[in-house]
Amino acid sequence: MENSTRIKFPARWSEPLDPDMDARAVDGLLKVAPFTAMNPESFSESMPLSGILKNDSRLQQLEKGDIIVREGDYGGSAFLIVSGEALVSTRSLPPEVLGRGNKERKGWGRAIAQLWRNSNQTEARDYSKTKTPNQDTGTGLRDHSSGTHVFLHDIPRVIPPEHSITLGEGEIFGEISALTRSARSATVVANSKMVVLEIRWQGFRELMLRNEAMGQHIEKRYRENSLQAHLRETEIFRDLPDDVIRKLADRTIFQTFGNYQWSHKFKSTLKKDISQRILNEPLIAEQGDYVDGLVLIRNGFARLSRKHGEGHQTIAYLGKGDTFGFREVVHNWATGQQRPWMLSLRSLGFVDVLKIPVTVLEELVLPQLRESSFPAPLPDLAGDGKARNRRLTPRAKSMEPGLMEFLVENRFINGTQAMMIDLDRCTRCDDCVRACASTHDNNPRFVRHGPVHDHWMIANACMHCLDPVCMIGCPTGAIGRDRETGNVAINDTTCIGCSTCANNCPYHNIQMVQVNDNRGNPIRDSETSLPVIKATKCDLCLEQPFGPACQRACPHDALVRIDISSPDDVMEWTEK
Amino acid sequence: MKFLSQMNRLSRRRLRNVTLTVASIAMLAAIVMWMDRSLLHSSFLTGYVLIGSLFLLAAFGMRKRLPMIAGIGSASFWMQMHIYVGLGSFAVFAMHIAFRVPDGMLESILALLYLVVFFSGIYGIWATRSIPRKLTSVGEEVIFERIPAFKRHLARRAQTIVMESCESTPVLANFYVNRLSKFFECRRGLGYMLIPTGRKRRHLIAEIEELDRFLAQEDRRVSRELAIMVRKKDDLDYHTAMQGRLKLWLFVHIAITWSLLIFSVVHGLLAHAYGGGLA
Repeated sequence: MENSTRIKFPARWSEPLDPDMDARAVDGLLKVAPFTAMNPESFSESMPLSGILKNDSRLQQLEKGDIIVREGDYGGSAFLIVSGEALVSTRSLPPEVLGRGNKERKGWGRAIAQLWRNSNQTEARDYSKTKTPNQDTGTGLRDHSSGTHVFLHDIPRVIPPEHSITLGEGEIFGEISALTRSARSATVVANSKMVVLEIRWQGFRELMLRNEAMGQHIEKRYRENSLQAHLRETEIFRDLPDDVIRKLADRTIFQTFGNYQWSHKFKSTLKKDISQRILNEPLIAEQGDYVDGLVLIRNGFARLSRKHGEGHQTIAYLGKGDTFGFREVVHNWATGQQRPWMLSLRSLGFVDVLKIPVTVLEELVLPQLRESSFPAPLPDLAGDGKARNRRLTPRAKSMEPGLMEFLVENRFINGTQAMMIDLDRCTRCDDCVRACASTHDNNPRFVRHGPVHDHWMIANACMHCLDPVCMIGCPTGAIGRDRETGNVAINDTTCIGCSTCANNCPYHNIQMVQVNDNRGNPIRDSETSLPVIKATKCDLCLEQPFGPACQRACPHDALVRIDISSPDDVMEWTEK
Repeated sequence: MKFLSQMNRLSRRRLRNVTLTVASIAMLAAIVMWMDRSLLHSSFLTGYVLIGSLFLLAAFGMRKRLPMIAGIGSASFWMQMHIYVGLGSFAVFAMHIAFRVPDGMLESILALLYLVVFFSGIYGIWATRSIPRKLTSVGEEVIFERIPAFKRHLARRAQTIVMESCESTPVLANFYVNRLSKFFECRRGLGYMLIPTGRKRRHLIAEIEELDRFLAQEDRRVSRELAIMVRKKDDLDYHTAMQGRLKLWLFVHIAITWSLLIFSVVHGLLAHAYGGGLA
């Protein structure tokens, strides 16, 4: 104990959103709507309104044309218009306007031509034929104190009045995607000189909780739009009529567990003992506790675990759309017993859940369900512990426990296109690396190396995550999801080399590289003469005619791009 | 058919490919027998099938160089074709030489080249199935091209910690100079590269452990670290030997394939020049 390292435990506001946010700015904000209507006494002493404004928000001074949020972006902030007005585009804008590439698949001719057109220099670029933000796209870059912004030269041309909605002072936008950690559904542009207050998700949630009017307003919007759609997509509720879904949505409870910015602390967490790590994970439901409702995972991941001796063994992982506790709820309703949770559910990093109380289910859902859609009844709890444990484990095919733990502990469950290599079949020939290089101008976009469990390696290649934390905070929108495939890609032209995405990626799958011209000389910024840096990563051969070259180049069936968020896919591959 | 559904994907593929190969060979054998009975030259037919097979087998190398046009089939598909066409070619070769040892100089060289390529291919199937498992069992994964750098780092680190321990006792330093420096700094011999074993590693670790009784507590920590480094170096040597073997095998297999193709074309031209055509 005497020799142990001592650090100051991080507090809620250790890292303010804007260190320059001062008391004067906060006082000014308290005099504008909706903060004037808020009662400071309804906020807790540890988290006062002024503290939220000081630490969880920042003021952005914007010029006409500045893009505030882009459709498809990820972000953890909501926005409040302090002064001026903004335009919401009701139709999708072209990718080049949003700072994204519009990559088209190459035909056979262009694909073969790569054989002789590929550069001999590493990371060679030819920007002479590439549209920069100022050319043709109608956009440009502007530096503000809050960072670099892309702006539109001609707003009416890009967002015609008939395809836009105007937002004025006191209006809020971007809150649903911030609260549900989903992609922004529309692009919002400053339509005049304006001041916008960006409020971090945590602070915004606090404002909703402490200010009834604001909370009700936001919640109503969410319940009317996203929540009903989410419930309809849930298998259990699929056959329920619309009026029941509406009633269910009204009585659903929102809960959030874990840390929204889990990726920041992920690496340091990994150094801890696994038992300790599991115990530290926020509990959503604990094995043996009273069953109080059905849990629906709205976002993020959760660990399903079972007590095993003195520790907890991971049984499965749940992700968006999965449910927990239906078996117990139905059993207790059908038998009149009060059986507790059979397993524990813990938050992995960050998880957003919806809870439907048992009373609501018994009133609205269970009487309407056909008996054929009931889950298997719970087993009799009599018998020795070992046999009981076997019965409590889900009956479906289960993954080897060690592999399950490996995928969960390293958060590979986030990957929808992870590169999984069977080392018992891999001859280390590097055909996959050569194929990647051949299709990316002689620059391989992954490293055939990475964490290993047994004979399974997850290589350092972009996993095109379900929760793409790399996309949070990109100032120019250069990193984004491809509209057709959903894969995460970087637009080399609009990337400004700020490293935000590389620093955010918890798997070290994004590399910052210095770019060169075709003679091997570093390309330099025309103003500062500093070498130009770009972010690079696997784009899953977006431009190639036949998908990821790495997988198709492996002669030994050792390499696959796999959706680890789906345990069935992993089992199918590992049991090949 | 129940057993088919119980087989995994790769076993089902193997069964399908073996069936196809055997059926193709049986069909060719039937045609050859019919031609021979009809007093036709079946050797031209088998010759064309054989040279066609050889070009198809060699085309796998070209497919590897064209990853951007994966529409011509995945490398895995080509690999399967390579294996089964290669295996089937042996039957065609046997039919072509009429199950006799060739007597001419060119034919003998050609047959020898074919056999070397064929058996190196058989070895390749075995090696590519068995060596990866051996490498995996080592534990540490390492990229072949990075091995020399890792070895250099280990050698430097070993030298540094031994030098640091010199102040208290020369025991470890002497041992390093006499027994370990060569192990860390030099390449392993041909014997090890052909049949890598853990004998040297076991001997050295045993010797390091025996030194313990001459060492102070602090130096024992150094000796334990040295033992770990010996294990690591030996693992790297094992990777060098096994990964190197796979690379060398492929190089030899491809190099002889090209010689075989050239000789085959010459043989075909001569056969046509002096054989009087297909009839």
